[in-house]
Amino acid sequence: MADVALLNVTKRWGGFVAVRDQSLAIRDGEFMVLLGPSGCGKTTTMRMIAGLEEPTSGDILIGGQRVNDLPPRDRDIAMVFQSYGLYPHMTVGDNIGYPLKLRGIKGAERDAQIKAAAAKVELGDLLHRKPRELSGGQRQRVALARAIVRRPTVFLMDEPLSNLDAKLRVSTRAEIKHLQHELGVTTVYVTHDQIEAMTLAHRVAVMNQGEIRQLDTPEVIYDRPADLFVAGFIGSPPMNLVTGHHGDGVFTAPGGFRFTTRVGHHAGPAVLGVRPEDVTVAPAGGGDLDASIYAVELTGDAVLVTVMAGEARLIAKADRAWRAEIGSTVALRLDATRLHLFDAATTRRLNPEAPR
Amino acid sequence: MDRNAQARRRRMLWRGVESALLLLVLFLILFPILWMALTAFKRPVDLFDLTVFFTPTLDNFRTIFAHPWNIGQTFLNSLVVAGLTVLVSIPASTLAAYAFSRFEMPFKGALFFTILATQFIPAVVVVLPFYLLFRDLGLLDTHLALVVVNLAIVTPFAVWMLKGFLDAVPTESEEAAMVDGATRLRVIIDIVVPMVWPGVVVTAVFCFILTWNEFLFALILTRDDAVTLPVGITRFRTERGDLWELIAAAGILISIPMFFLSSVIQRHFVRGMTGGAVK
Repeated sequence: MADVALLNVTKRWGGFVAVRDQSLAIRDGEFMVLLGPSGCGKTTTMRMIAGLEEPTSGDILIGGQRVNDLPPRDRDIAMVFQSYGLYPHMTVGDNIGYPLKLRGIKGAERDAQIKAAAAKVELGDLLHRKPRELSGGQRQRVALARAIVRRPTVFLMDEPLSNLDAKLRVSTRAEIKHLQHELGVTTVYVTHDQIEAMTLAHRVAVMNQGEIRQLDTPEVIYDRPADLFVAGFIGSPPMNLVTGHHGDGVFTAPGGFRFTTRVGHHAGPAVLGVRPEDVTVAPAGGGDLDASIYAVELTGDAVLVTVMAGEARLIAKADRAWRAEIGSTVALRLDATRLHLFDAATTRRLNPEAPR
Repeated sequence: MDRNAQARRRRMLWRGVESALLLLVLFLILFPILWMALTAFKRPVDLFDLTVFFTPTLDNFRTIFAHPWNIGQTFLNSLVVAGLTVLVSIPASTLAAYAFSRFEMPFKGALFFTILATQFIPAVVVVLPFYLLFRDLGLLDTHLALVVVNLAIVTPFAVWMLKGFLDAVPTESEEAAMVDGATRLRVIIDIVVPMVWPGVVVTAVFCFILTWNEFLFALILTRDDAVTLPVGITRFRTERGDLWELIAAAGILISIPMFFLSSVIQRHFVRGMTGGAVK
């Protein structure tokens, strides 16, 4: 068990900056998810913690000790790779036991530990197979078992679910969460999948272009995105973002879009954000805004209603029994307590009060 | 219907031409070998007889193994020289190829090219300096001299070949091993070499064949003790004329390892392609 800290870490390849002067403190036992689109620097950050990349500048600390100059083997970490990184010429049992073998643990003791780790991920009867004889999900479990077989101080997981099919991803996700809770090992988890981040993390670091844009619990990330990038990245369907102008507590956008916010102090170009589930479609005349139906999509558990309000196109999430004709006029109610207002120039959030 | 039949006839005709051409090429390649094989079992009197039916004899093989030819010794010399060359060059080349494949270093491209560039120098140019060098070192007519020279020939080739194989291996398993606690050398031994094993075997076989067939240096640098098989064969050109039946018998002898090794290559190439990566 240990905490992990990054202090002003930068990674540069020639002129390309992968990670720009980032600091991050991961608490002991915490499940930290690094979330972001591909190329945002999240994997590079993890590989620097692992010792597979050297930071160009800055320090990396594990358990309070500076590890910049330690090779991966001396950092007491375990890592699960995106395509598993199994040893194809070894059996499942030898794969799991390799970290033990390198530490001189022999014979019966090693076998017992391999069995225990394999049992935790339900691999018990496959120990004599070769990786190529396993399914993707089973290979993933071998990689997990290899990571937990010796108790490392830190787990690193690099998109471990991305090669699994959708159904398996959901069940394995829950297993990873359970395993981390049970072992209580500090975990850094890299993903581009916001659902994985929301479901797994104690805290999420949302990254873009080599920078952490917001670091907080999943709830806060979802309810109070710090800037336009985070607002647009988290949520499915994504948050409605309307570009317009804000002044005197009123937000206006081209085409007659007008809405009274409770944010008094800002005047200038702004972006109004509201999540689809915070938009209610009401009969014409009965709401804050007039709109016309652009499309109605049944997803199964809900109906996604796309409407035109002025020149802005918004998506509202309605009950799955809701129906309307395309082109008909309706009214929209926006939940004023759950509005997000961003400065169009700086992209930063303008209403800091927690929407409740 | 008529058109179809015509097309089919044309296709069959083309097939026939193809087969005939293939047979011709096959004949051109195999005939000398067949002729050598036949000659090796002929008595000297049957030598220039074109008949395929003759009384086969093993006398030629007995002769070449007996005094004064002692082909057994040259066979052993070849085996020792080729074996030692492979034994030294493959581990060294694997490490070099790994470094070129995985590490960043200044002037990497130039260095890698330089390794190959050593092969651009014609052997005839350096054979005399080598002779003088080994004479001064007192290493003429020794296995060691031939091994050193062959290493210089074979190693650049092996480095290039192995780098190709190593480049094709994904690095994730290596990184996993390093995180699991392995040193770089341990990673190479435990993970990398097993994963490129077919490539290592194929490279080793090619190196063995190159050394086995090496002629010029062996001719210049040996006299009695360290004579290799290709040089040994030239001794059958005597003042009594060319002893074709003995040349053919020795030719069979020199080919035996090749037959064996080519089957090894075939097997490993197939396995190398179907072995499958991790994902």
